[in-house]
Parts: sequence; structure tokens; C-alpha cells
Amino acid sequence: MLIKLLNTLLMLVVALSITGVINRTRAVLAGRKGIRFFQHVYNARLMLRKGAVYSPTTTALFRIAPCVYLGAAIVAFLFIPIADLEPVLSFHGDIVLVAYLLGLARVAIVLAALDTGSSFEGMGAAREALYGALVEPALMMGLATLALFCGYSSFAEIFSTAQELGPNVTIVMLLLAYVFLIIMIIESGRVPVDDPRTHLELTMIHEVMCLDYSGIDLAMINIAGWLKNAIWAVIAANAVSVALCFHWEFATPLAILGTGITIGCIESLRARNKLSHNTTYILTIVAMAALVLLTGFLLYQNIDI
Amino acid sequence: MYLLTLLAAALAIALIFIVPKRAKVWVATVLIAMAAIGAIALSAKTLLCGDLELASFTTSLFGKEHISVDGISALFLSIIAIASVATVLYSRGYVGGYLERYSSTHISLHYTALVLLVVSMMLVVVTSGGFSFLFSWELMTIASFILILFEAERQEVRRAALNYLVMMHIGFMFLVAGFVMLYNVTDSANFAAVECYFKVAAPLPLFMMLFIGFGMKAGLFPMHIWLPEAHPAAPSHVSAIMSGVMIKTGVYGILRLMQAIDNNIDLLYNIGLIVLLAGIITGIWGVIFAAMQNDVKRLLAYSSIENIGVILIGLGVAAVGHAAGSNLIGMCGMCGALLHIVNHSLFKTMLFFSAGNIYSKMHTTAMNQMGGLAKHMPVTAILMLFATVAICALPPLNGFVSELLIYIGMFNGVSDGHEVLYAVGGIIALSLIGGVVVLAFTKLYGIVFLGSPRSHHVAECTEVDSQRIAAMAIPAALILFVGLLPQLAIRPIALVAEAVTGGDSSLAVAQFTPMLTSLSCVGFILILVIALLFVMKYRAQLKRKIESGPTWGCGFTAPNTRMQYTGESFSEGLENVGRPLMKDMVDGRSVDKGEIFPSEHNYKVVHKDKVDSLLGQLWVKMMHNINGFVMRLRTGRVNNYITFALAFLFVVLILTMFGVL
Repeated sequence: MLIKLLNTLLMLVVALSITGVINRTRAVLAGRKGIRFFQHVYNARLMLRKGAVYSPTTTALFRIAPCVYLGAAIVAFLFIPIADLEPVLSFHGDIVLVAYLLGLARVAIVLAALDTGSSFEGMGAAREALYGALVEPALMMGLATLALFCGYSSFAEIFSTAQELGPNVTIVMLLLAYVFLIIMIIESGRVPVDDPRTHLELTMIHEVMCLDYSGIDLAMINIAGWLKNAIWAVIAANAVSVALCFHWEFATPLAILGTGITIGCIESLRARNKLSHNTTYILTIVAMAALVLLTGFLLYQNIDI
Repeated sequence: MYLLTLLAAALAIALIFIVPKRAKVWVATVLIAMAAIGAIALSAKTLLCGDLELASFTTSLFGKEHISVDGISALFLSIIAIASVATVLYSRGYVGGYLERYSSTHISLHYTALVLLVVSMMLVVVTSGGFSFLFSWELMTIASFILILFEAERQEVRRAALNYLVMMHIGFMFLVAGFVMLYNVTDSANFAAVECYFKVAAPLPLFMMLFIGFGMKAGLFPMHIWLPEAHPAAPSHVSAIMSGVMIKTGVYGILRLMQAIDNNIDLLYNIGLIVLLAGIITGIWGVIFAAMQNDVKRLLAYSSIENIGVILIGLGVAAVGHAAGSNLIGMCGMCGALLHIVNHSLFKTMLFFSAGNIYSKMHTTAMNQMGGLAKHMPVTAILMLFATVAICALPPLNGFVSELLIYIGMFNGVSDGHEVLYAVGGIIALSLIGGVVVLAFTKLYGIVFLGSPRSHHVAECTEVDSQRIAAMAIPAALILFVGLLPQLAIRPIALVAEAVTGGDSSLAVAQFTPMLTSLSCVGFILILVIALLFVMKYRAQLKRKIESGPTWGCGFTAPNTRMQYTGESFSEGLENVGRPLMKDMVDGRSVDKGEIFPSEHNYKVVHKDKVDSLLGQLWVKMMHNINGFVMRLRTGRVNNYITFALAFLFVVLILTMFGVL
């Protein structure tokens, strides 16, 4: 019970800090002092206190969608363990459930975007749906690689079997962590797939879908975004931890700093892709996931490469 | 008793012709309800007490045949019963709109065919094979052909129906050939004899022959091309029953073939691979085309193809799993596939009913004419949203349960090291299907029901009558049941799975129950969390200032509804990826670059399969070549013709001299 509580608390810490770390990294690299570490949390608190504006085009679906988005993210969040800790919920096969819960969140937000009748939001929705569809195989192959080495199909069981896997497999796991990191970037619409910092109309995927949301709804969507980021970051950190026998006391800072600093560096050092290149970019990640899985399979079969 | 009911129903269709126009639907309803109650009672009895034999007789063609019910028949009988009752309830409102336009005979014919379709589908799943099976199969084809022809004055309807009839008969030829092959070797054309055939002769030719025959009905790639033509042409309740259950009779045949593979590990493995591969290709092909369609019913038709693919992936996983000696993988795949058969019959009927509601009000199925229908047809919108979430295989509804079982089978294959590469192939395919189906159905729902109206017809739409809503509520209730309490639904399914490929159902149920119980808990938790969040938000907003303002147009002050994203633009990204697979059929002329002030244009584009045009072009080319050869003989000179006549007489003379003629 206590372990579950500890796990949830640590997950929350990860969820709240990643955005701060990204912002701070970017500020340092740009030579700025930067905003407060928890500025995004203050912003969300501010939005929670505000009223809202709803377009007359929208239906009740538009008002329920943020709740579904956040609700699905919360439930998915409860399945993720940090290294060998125990998550709140777990059962045989939950790796598929988490992927599909995030799918439910995506459906909710895409439909809400279409509900406004705005062409901008329609554009964002179309891209979110397409990129989500293309990235799904990469995600499942990543999970299959984990299942191949750890022999189970629930997150709690996979990550509790920390074992010395040998240097070959460590490389596979590091690559796997990279794949999950890129999946996180694609799912949250960050550079190089999209740039959330630009003026809203120029941000073409995720942020553009929330153009018509304000107040509590927008806060809910942002909070769900943090939770989703935490899910990906922790899975990526866990993949490393499994190979290197890290426990939670290493895995937590790894999840926060590893992903935060990497994403911060990527955002500072490279520009956004041309949108038409995104499909290629995502398919490259899918191909990379397939490569990781194949390499892993060959190693697993003790075929020397 | 049950057979007598079916016979009575088949004979009593004469009544439909006698009663007045408005009462015809009630006669059909009573007849179908009778058959359905009989079928449900029979399948419950079978699942509880074991297999039943109803009748046996000898036909002059294929020898001894019998009518019996086992687990597989019971499963199919129940889905046919449920879908047919919902269909006939729905048909009253839908056909009601045509009563003025069509003659009494026309309506009678429609209902006669509907009753016959239900009766023949039930017969298909209880006959043991041979003549009686082929007879009911053919009856099913003809009944559905008449049903498709309902709006026969439209040219595209006649074309689609004819296309359907031809395709089905090509499939039928394969089935007849298969059964004759079977009869030649074993002296019996029953499904039970297939097992014997597989032992004494080379199994794959027979398997492929029957697989193609059944695959034609099921809509396997590349034999799927009749589906996207037939469904938009047929009335919606007919599409619902055809797509929901009739195409599943093809899967039923494949199940019977798999049942016949007894202890032959190599064969089971090979057939598993064939079925898995067919499932992967069919599923991916279907879903990519579903996402690119701009017609509500074409989209749903392609999505049926995709779901058949998912079912076949499950069957393939089951066969390969059993061949690898793993009960868990085998049962996961088989239970997933069987449950998906049930699930798809539920949500696809609902989706086609919704499409029917839209069509009966909008008089079109072109998605880009719609938009904002949720405000005018709120109940349809809610029910359709429900079915959309279910077909996207999202928790907490039923589609997820069956896909989860298939996934778990494959993940177990990966983690236990059984046939890892095939399992991974299945995982990639299923996840890609899962992702693109979300694109397809958010497009369908978003463009049709949400946003602003794209044409003025939307404003005239009203909600449909309550009987149609009630017909949609039947599958909706079952979707909720399977989705929220999967641990109860899995028991009968596991029993049926055991009947197909063997394995231990009680062990599998013991393994599934904790997992599905947790899944059902998570489903309730999810609903609770969402409800809680909504209540909290609602209460917080009571005290705040809630305003209404126009949708943010990014500073543009004169937006109009035509500027919204359309179905075409929504799937543009995917179209760029899937361009090599398709061929566009363009009707009309697009706006030229030089036209500064464009005049009125009519422009319609349908994204068709390349397979469709390939098959079509193949025939045309062959006919062309044959005709070209014949044309060379027609020289127009009298002396040539006299030579031909002389040559003919000479040949006849030679043949008589050798005593051939």
C-alpha cells in the first residue's frame, strides 16, 4: 500500500517537473534566466479559477471531452510503475490497455476540435489523428521488445524483473528508451514535430486543437498533457533501469532530468520539421522500433551479430 | 420443433403478400421473431446440454446429410437472431418512407426476401454441409440480392446488385468444386468428412478452394470489392444485417475448416499462417480505404472488411498458438476472434442503422454535405458516438475486449518465445489498424455530426421515430454488457472456442477471469473518474462567468461554413501515404488554375481500390483481345467468307470420315 502511494507521489513529481526542466534547460542554453520552475503549475492554477467562453457551434460533447481526456490520462497514469515500485492498478495485459486509454483521450480531443467547426482546429485534429495512427505500431513494437526480454505483459511485472542483461541488451534498451522518448515528443507535439511555443495559429498539431478552450477546460487539457508526458518519460527511464538494474531512487531523477534535458536540448538546437516531412519522420521512428525489436530478437535467440 | 418453426416461417411468407401495405412489416416481424426465439432457445440449450441433432436425411447428390447444432452453430444462431430482430424492428420506419412510392408487390418482395435471408442464414449454420448447405447458401445469396435491389430505379443500385450476384456466384463455384473434391475422396460432402479428407489426401488444395469460396462472402482481400459497392446501394437495415451477420457466414465456413484439422500440427501451423496473413492484409487494406472514403456507407463497408481482417488475425493466432502447443495463446486468439464476431455484429448493425437515420433525413450519404447533425438528431448522435467508441476498440466498450484478447495471445507468443516474428507481425498490423480506425471514425463522426452544417438540408433534419431508436438500443445494451462485464461474456465464448480447435476452455476461463474482472473494474473506474471530473467542473463553473462567443477564427471576420475541414481534407495526410493503392474516379471538372472568377463546377471524386480496377480491367482486356481476334476474320470480302464455309464443310467431312460426329 505504502509502495503504491510512494509510486503515485513520485509519478506526480515527475509529471509536474518535466515541463519545468525543459523550460530551464532552454533558458540556460539561450543564456536567459528563465521563468520560475513551477510557472506552468501557477498558470494552470490561474486557469482553474477562470470562467469560460463556449462557441454556439459546439455541442455538449465539447464540454465533456476535456473530462474524458483527463480521465483517460489519469487512469492510464495509475498503471505505470517507477522501476520496481508497484503501480496502483495492474493486471495481465495492461500494456495494451494503457495504449488504448491514450487512444480514447485522443478520440475525445479530436472530436472536440471538430465540434468547433473551425478549419484550424480541423487541421490540427486531422494531423493528430494521422500521427497518432502512424506512431501506434512503434509504441506496440517497443512494448513487445520489453515483453520479449522480461517475459510478461503488464507494466508492473515487466519492470519489476530488473536483471543484468549484458552489454548487448543494454544497447537495445537504450535504443528503446530513445524510441519512447521520440514517441513522447510526437504525442505531445514538441520540436521537431511541432513547436508549441509559436503563436497559436502557427502551432499546427496539438495546441491548435485547444484553440477554443479556456478556463477549467484548458487547465484540464494541460494537466492531462503533463500526465501523458510523465507516462512516456517514466517508461523510457524504466527501459534503461531494467538493463542497468536501477531502482526507483535512480529511475525517478533519470525520468525527470533525462527526458527534460534531452527535450530541452532538442528544442534549443534544432528547428521544427517542415510539416510534410513529419510523416517520414514518424515512419522512421516506426522503422527504428522494428529494428530494435529485430535486433533484440536476434540477441534473444543467441544469434551473434 | 425449431425446424418446424423455420419451415412455418418460410411458408407463411405468403401472408406478406395478402395483408395491406402497412401491415406487411408486422407479419415479417412476427415471423422473424418466431425464428429468432427458436434460435436463441436452441443455442442456449446447446451451450448448456451439449450438441443436438435435429434431423437427418439423404440427398441424391451428396448422400447422407443432417441438421445439427453444436457450439459454433449456437454462437452464430444467437448473433443472427439478435441482429435480425433489430433489423426488422428498424425496417418499419425506414421502409415507411417508401410506402407511397412503391407498389404493394415491391414492398412484399422486400419483406419476403428479408424473412428468407434470416431463415437461410440460420439454415447455413445448422446444416452439416453438402447439398443442404449449398442450397441454403445460394438461397442466402439470392435473398440478399433481392434486398439490395430495393431502390431498383437507381442505376448504381442495379449495377451494385448485379456485381454482387456475379461475385457471389464465382465464390459459389469454388464452394461447389470444393465439395465435389471432398465427395470424390470421402464419399460424403459433410464438414465432418473434411477431417478424413485432410488425412488421406493433400489438404491444401481443398482448403484453398473452400477458403476462397468462403472468403468471397466474408470479403477477404482481394475478393472484398463487392462490399463497398453493395452497401451504399442497399437500404440501411439490409446493409446492417448483411455486414453485421451475413458476411460472418464466410467466417463460419472457415471455422468449420479449422475444426476439421485434428492433431495435425503441421497443417494447423500452415493454415494458421495463411489465415493470419490473409487477416493482416485484409485488415490493413480495409482500414486504409475506410479512412479515405467520403461516403458514410462506403466507409462503413470498408470498415467491415477491416473487422473481418481482425477476426482472421485472431483465428490465425489461435491456429499458430495451438500448433506451437500453447493452450493460452490458442484460446486467447480463438476467444478474441469469436468475441469480435459477436462485437462486430453489434456495433456494425448500430452504425448502419445510424447511417440509415441520416440517409432517410438527408437523402444522401455524401459526408461533405453534412455537418452539425448532432443538434438536429441528438439521440442518433449519442447512439452513433457510442458505436464509434466501440468500433475504435476503445475501453470501456466491447470492441476493446476482443482486441485485448487477441493482443494478449500475441504478446504471450512474444514473451514465451513462440513464433515471435509472426506474433510481432500481428501486433504491428493490429496496432496500425487500431490507429487508423480512430482516424476513420473520428472523421466519420466529426464531419457528419459536429461542426456547422455544410448544406441547407441539415436544417430540415429531425430525429427519427422511436421504433428505430429502440431497434438501435438492442445492440447498444449488449455492447455495454460485453464491455463492462466481459468476465461473464467470455464463458460461452470459451466453450465455443474449445469446440473449434480443441484446447482446454475451463483452464482458459480460469486464466481470463482475473484479467477480465480487472478490466471491468478499470472500466467502471474510468467512467467514475470522468463523471467525477465533469461534476467538479460543472459545480465550479456554476459560480463563474460562462459566456458564449463565436468560434475563434484567428482574426478572420467573415468565415463561412464551407471553410470547415471536410472529410477529404481530414484524410489528406493518409491519402498521401496510401496514394499508390488507389485509383480516383473523377466525375465532373475541377476549377482550372486560370479561372480567376470560377464558374459553377460539379466535381465528385471517389477513391476506389486499385484491385477493383485491376480485376475489372483484366476482364475488359480479355474480351477485347478475343473480340480483336474474331474481328480479324470479318474481312468484308465475299471470297473469304466462301473459303470459311468451304473450310467448315471440309472439317465436317473429315470428322465424319473418322467417325467423330
